[in-house]
Order: sequence, then C-alpha cells, then structure tokens
Amino acid sequence: MDTLNLLMQGFATAATPMNLLYAFLGVLLGTAVGVLPGIGPAMAVALLLPLTYGLEPTSAFIMFAGIYYGGMYGGSTTSILLNTPGESATVITAIEGHRMAKAGRAAQALATAAIGSFVAGTIGTALLVAFAPPVVDFAVSLGPSSYLAIMVLAFIAVTAILGSSKLRGFASLGLGLAIGLVGIDPVTGQQRLVFGQPLLADGLDVIVVAVAIFAVGEALWIAAHLRRNPLSTIPVGRPWMGKQDWKRSWKPWLRGTAYGFPFGALPAGGAEVPTFLSYVTEKRLSKHKEEFGHGAIEGVAGPEAANNASAAGTLTPMLALGLPTNATAAVMLAAFTQYGIQPGPLLFDNEPDLVWALIASLFIGNTLLLLINLPLAPLWAKLLQIPRPYLYAGILFFATLGAYAVNLQAFDLAILLVLGLLGFAMRRFGLPILPLVIGLILGPRAEGQLRKALQLSGGDVAGLWSEPIAIGVYIAVAALLALPLVLALVRRRRPQAAAALAAAEGPTAAAAAVAEEPATDRAAARDRAAATDQAAAPDQAAAPDRAAAPAPEERQPHHKDSHSHEKESL
Amino acid sequence: MSIVVGYIPTPEGEAAFERAIAEASKAAAKLVVVNSSRGDAVVDQRFAQEEQIAALQSRLDAAEVEHVLLQPLRGHDAAEEVLDAAESHGAELIVIGLRKRSPVGKLIMGSTAQRILLEARCPVLAVKAG
Amino acid sequence: MTTIASRLKGRAELGFAALLGAVGAAVLIDASRLAVPYSQSDPVGPKTVPFIVGGLLVVCAVLLVVDVLRGGRGEAEGGEDVDLTHPTDWRTVLPLLAAFVLNILIIDIAGWVISGALLFYGSVWALGSRRYVRDVIISVALSLATFYGFYLGLGIRLPAGFLTGVL
Repeated sequence: MDTLNLLMQGFATAATPMNLLYAFLGVLLGTAVGVLPGIGPAMAVALLLPLTYGLEPTSAFIMFAGIYYGGMYGGSTTSILLNTPGESATVITAIEGHRMAKAGRAAQALATAAIGSFVAGTIGTALLVAFAPPVVDFAVSLGPSSYLAIMVLAFIAVTAILGSSKLRGFASLGLGLAIGLVGIDPVTGQQRLVFGQPLLADGLDVIVVAVAIFAVGEALWIAAHLRRNPLSTIPVGRPWMGKQDWKRSWKPWLRGTAYGFPFGALPAGGAEVPTFLSYVTEKRLSKHKEEFGHGAIEGVAGPEAANNASAAGTLTPMLALGLPTNATAAVMLAAFTQYGIQPGPLLFDNEPDLVWALIASLFIGNTLLLLINLPLAPLWAKLLQIPRPYLYAGILFFATLGAYAVNLQAFDLAILLVLGLLGFAMRRFGLPILPLVIGLILGPRAEGQLRKALQLSGGDVAGLWSEPIAIGVYIAVAALLALPLVLALVRRRRPQAAAALAAAEGPTAAAAAVAEEPATDRAAARDRAAATDQAAAPDQAAAPDRAAAPAPEERQPHHKDSHSHEKESL
Repeated sequence: MSIVVGYIPTPEGEAAFERAIAEASKAAAKLVVVNSSRGDAVVDQRFAQEEQIAALQSRLDAAEVEHVLLQPLRGHDAAEEVLDAAESHGAELIVIGLRKRSPVGKLIMGSTAQRILLEARCPVLAVKAG
Repeated sequence: MTTIASRLKGRAELGFAALLGAVGAAVLIDASRLAVPYSQSDPVGPKTVPFIVGGLLVVCAVLLVVDVLRGGRGEAEGGEDVDLTHPTDWRTVLPLLAAFVLNILIIDIAGWVISGALLFYGSVWALGSRRYVRDVIISVALSLATFYGFYLGLGIRLPAGFLTGVL
C-alpha cells in the first residue's frame, strides 16, 4: 500500500469522536503546560503516562502528540507576553515578540506565531510523511552493527553538543546507562545492580525514572530558587493580523520551516540553532531592518515557524528509527515500551495503524491548535496568575500519584524520591538532563545490538565495523569529538570579532554584528542537513558547521545587553 | 504626619492615588504609597512594573508632595502591608480604592478594603473610581 | 566571605563527584560478580557493558574532581521561574522533602486520600502559602477527586487505608 492510502486510514482512525476528543485534550493540556512556568512537554507527558494506562495506545499517543505540539505553542505565548522564555527554543521569539507586545502589537505577534506554527507544523508533518517511509526502508536493511553505531552517535551527539560542559554531559550519560542496567540481563538471566532487592529485579520503571527526573527534580529545583518578584503581562485581545502583517509573515514562515525541520531531525540538533538562523536571515532579508529590535513581525514569524518545524523533524528519527533527539521524544519512546510496542524501523510494519493515526493526528492537532489558540490567548495569559505553591505542590502531588499508580507500591515512591534528588543535584551542578534520559532509553537497546553484532561475527570485534554505514557513522562520531579542538582553533583565529562585539555599545552596533554571520551559518546548516539525511556525516562537512553553530550562545547575550542598555537610556 | 495610600494599577487605585495626592498637599503631609504583592505567582497584574512606578514618581514630583514609594514583597496580604505601613509611619489617614461590588460578590471574594476598614487605627478614606 | 561560600560550593560539587564515583564503583563491583557462562551465541556476555558504564562513571568522577579543583564549576540550570541570584533555599526544600517522605511512610497504612492530602497540604505550606482554610479544602478535594477518578475512570484502586469502608 502506498503512503497516501496509509495516511488516509490514519485519518480515519484519528478522526473518530473519541480520538478527536483526546487530540483536543492533548492540545489544550499541552498549551496550558507550555504557558505555565516550570512545566515542559516532557514533564507533562511523563506525568500523564500513568493516567493513560487504561487507554488504547493509539488514543494515548494522539493525546501525547497534541501535548507536544501544544507545548511548543504555549511557550511562545509566554515569551511574547512576558519576555520570560521558558524553553531555549523560544528565546529568539521573545526578542522581537515582546517588543511587539510592548508596542501594542501583541495581538499581531500572537497571531503570526500561531499561524506560523500551524503552517510550519503542517509542512513539517508533511515532510515527515514524505521522509519517514524511505528512512524506514533504508533502516530495515541495516544490521546490528550499524544500529549500534547510530546509537553511539546519538549518545555522543547529545552529550558533546548540548550543555556547556562535556564532562558533565558524559557523567549524566553514564548515570542514565547505569540506571538502564538495573534488572535481569535478558540474555543470561542474571541479576545486575539488583542488590538482592526483589523489587529491583524487573528493572526500574522507565516512567518512574522519567517522572522523578523531570517532575520531582524540577519541582524541587524551582522550590529551592523561587522567584519572588511578580511581573505583569501585557493585556491582549483576540489575536489578529492585518494585510500588511500577512505579507510580511508568509515568507519568514516558509524559510523558518526550511531551517527547523532538518535540525529537528538531527540528534541534538534541537530548536535553538534553527530559530537563531531564521532570526538572522529574516533580519538580513527584511525590508524593515530598522524595526528589528523594536518589534519586527518577521523576527517572530520566522523563529516560531522554525521552532515548530523542528518539533516535526524530531518525530522523523523517533518514529522511523526509534531514536529520540529531545526529551519529549525520549519520554514518548519510553511510553511505547510501556505499551509493549517495540520502537524502531519495524514500527511502521508492526503497528501501521498506530503510526499513521499518530501522524494524522499531528495534522489534526495542528489545526485544533490554531482554532483553539486564536480565541483563547487572553485566557492562557490568566493561567500565569496561579499561585506558585499550588503549581509546584500540584506537580509533586501528581508525580507521586502517577509513580504510585504504576505498581501500587510505596517502594516506587522511594525510588522516585532518590532519583528526584538526583535530578535536583544534577540541575544544581550543571549536569544536563537529556543525556541521562537518552542513556536510560537507548542504553539497553544499544547493549542488545552490541551483543547481536558480535554474535553474528562469532566474537570477532571487527564485526562492529562490518557495514559501510557503521564506518561512516563512527567517522561522524570522531568528527563530533574532534570538534572542540577545531572550535578552539577557530576561536583563536577570530579574536578581533569577539573584541568588536564586546566593545559594541548600543543596539545598532550589536545588531550589525549579528547580521554579519548569516552566510556561513546558512551554508553550514545546509551541509549539516544533507549530512544527516544519509546518517553519515563526513567530517569536513560537520566540522565547519559546528564551528558556526555556537554563534547564537556567544552573541545572544550581547544582543540582549544592548536591549537592556537601550531600555535604561529611555 | 503622613498619609498612606494603597495603590494598584486599576481605575480604583488611580482614583485613590489622585485623592491621596490632593489630601497630602492640602495637609502638607508625607505621602506613603504602598503597592505590594504576595509575590507567589509569576504574574500579578496588581504589582506595578518599573515604567508604572516611574510614572507615579513623576506625578508625585509634579505635585510637590513629600513621598515614599513602597513595594513590599514579603508574601503578605495587601491589607497587611497597608496597615503595616500606616503603623510604622504613624499615619493619620489611609486612602484606599473601592470596587463596586454586589453583596453576593462581596460575600464570596472577601476584601482587602474590608480588612483595612476594620483594623486600621486611623480614619480610612475609601474612594471609588469616577 | 565570598571565598568561604565559593569553597563550600566547590566541596558540594566534590561530593557529587564522589557520588558519581561510588555509583561507578558499585556498577563495576556488581559486574565483577556476574558469572560468564561461555557461550557461542553471546560472546559479549553480561559483564562487558556494565564494565564500560562503570568505567565511564569512574573516569567522569575523577575528571570532575580535577575540574573542580582547578576551579571549574557546573553551571546551575536556569529557568522561567528560577531565580539563581539567591542560594538554595533549604527552608523550602527540606519541608517539601519531609512531606514527600511522610507520604511514602504512611501511604500504605493511612491510604491515598489521607496521605495525598497531607502531601499536597505540606507542599503548599512549604512553598509559602499561608491561606490555611483554602489550602486544606483544596488538598482534601484533590486527593478525594484523584481517588475516585482513578477508581471510576481507570479502574485503579488506590489504597483506602483508614478510610476503608468509608470511601
């Protein structure tokens, strides 16, 4: 059967009244969660998992998909109205979005964000439909050694690229892998890291771990550093856009989508880099350059589209390869296992109904988001007035309830507490969370592939690089690991640029500095996108790419400084 | 001597503020402006932000009254903060804004104004929005 | 004063490195106890991966100690509702943990409705809410609603504890 047929069937499944209801619920919850401080989509899905045990997996995943897209959207609402971007992905939206809101154009900013999200999400999902089947066809032909290589790439990419300290990233990865080891070895039946505790023999419930790290750890961390000074939101009416706004928005939407999707599909590609690239591009191409820094609509439209397209991109490796590239995808993969569904390339063959209903529901959820969010935006802003004690006590309450409901044993709550404290400590000492989750989820599968690969080669270690794809991927891994050196060299060679930035005062100088970058960045982005589609990045392509990528982190602060500087002088 | 006014950025709050300036300049009293928040939510629309405070400041300067602007964030009710300020500044008058409410609305909501009226040790002037 | 504070912070991070090392050592020791039956079908055996993971953790622990001693500091995670300008507020965190532990201890005896309500009330109190009446009402309502919601909606019987027969 061809893709279109399958997709139509998916729509038939997803469009039943019950499933539409779940999609609606998911979108609603997701947006609420995106708006509320301290709760992200990963935590929301983790908290909801236990509540969905009674549901058909299809319905549950339709709801999760809604939460995922809704969360992306909700984040942009807060960054426009409050200038407190919750996730790094919406930092860029906040730059122009909040300025627009302050200039009395909150309605247009919200509208371009909502419609842009819809456009990017829809195109992104269509790209997912187009790309996933060929990726699956390709993946099915791969042997265990290639899989192992791809998983190693995922480990290294997540650890070495994200976060400021690689060492701490690897520590986090090690912890995740160790947690994943607990339980009975599937091959020899021996107990590992069980310490004589019969309750540990089945392994740690992934849901309990996810809830502990994302919900309990986060709630404790926020409780330890509660903000005390309240902000006020900018009042909004119903979002709308004039003709001029449409004219200025549609191209940024499309360009943002083009940036977002490939980056989302990369391990650790994420949404930060494409949103930044989109911002820089729009700034350069805009006919209203003078408005940038004072609320240019292009600066909201582009990054928002990039953000949502990257969310769709993330789903491609998740569904086609069983490879999570961000926290929410990791938790959703955990959910698959929870329902006894094996993620990986065979998912499309084994569970076509589920997969295509999920994809169809992404289209539906996207449309619902647009329909719900345009009229409800003022209501979402009200959610921010919930007193913090209720919010964070609520997170702890539902985390406990969910973890307890899995097996109805208090022992799980003790695990929840211990790992929650670990999550707290990790946040305090700057260990990124994502490597732990990826290690936890992919670790056992990577071990399985390792053993299979060596079984096939009869114990010969060369079996690990018996396939060309595996070799290619290992070269990419080596390139990733070598990047810091290249980066250091490049940095040393460009001290003048940094000095110029530091010396830059006032918004125009800093803004001009930001605008210098785009050409190289864009070329690099294309290289990078091309590289992953083949799952094997030659190191020349990857190296300059990474060298250009950290630019956002370096430059953003300067950019922001210039804004606050400007504010002070007003 | 001094006059304490509870300020929130609403028509009622504005009315109270205007009236308090008038009272203060009439009596040549020091004006203590209290704008508090429990600080327990991300967003509190009743807490004046920088620009709003700057605007208040310039109005106070223009009216040429001696004044203090307080924005306590101690997790206390607004009523408590106003009463506290009145106590510590030895206020002779407290000015507050009052919303129009139905008796039922009053029953459900409870009220900052009511607490101030009941517990203040000095006269309280309740102003409604024009 | 700042030097004492920063030194203490540094020590706390060394403690975390020690924890990492301890976990790594536990993984290694546990793995060394595993029997490896020779098998053609499993040349890797159950030990290999634990050894790699344990080794990774121990190496990370050592490097972290070196990093911390050379003045490296982990960057605490920021967030929408996180204010890193003040130090960890243990007066909020410890009561929160106490509420959490209390719940673990009594949930099987007292039942979810009681332990859950105490958990929520305790957390809200720890987080600084002092509207006692409203908080009690919300706590009880929430735990009752989830109890019946799980029973009627999902068919999961949360423990009723002391209130068995009443609920």
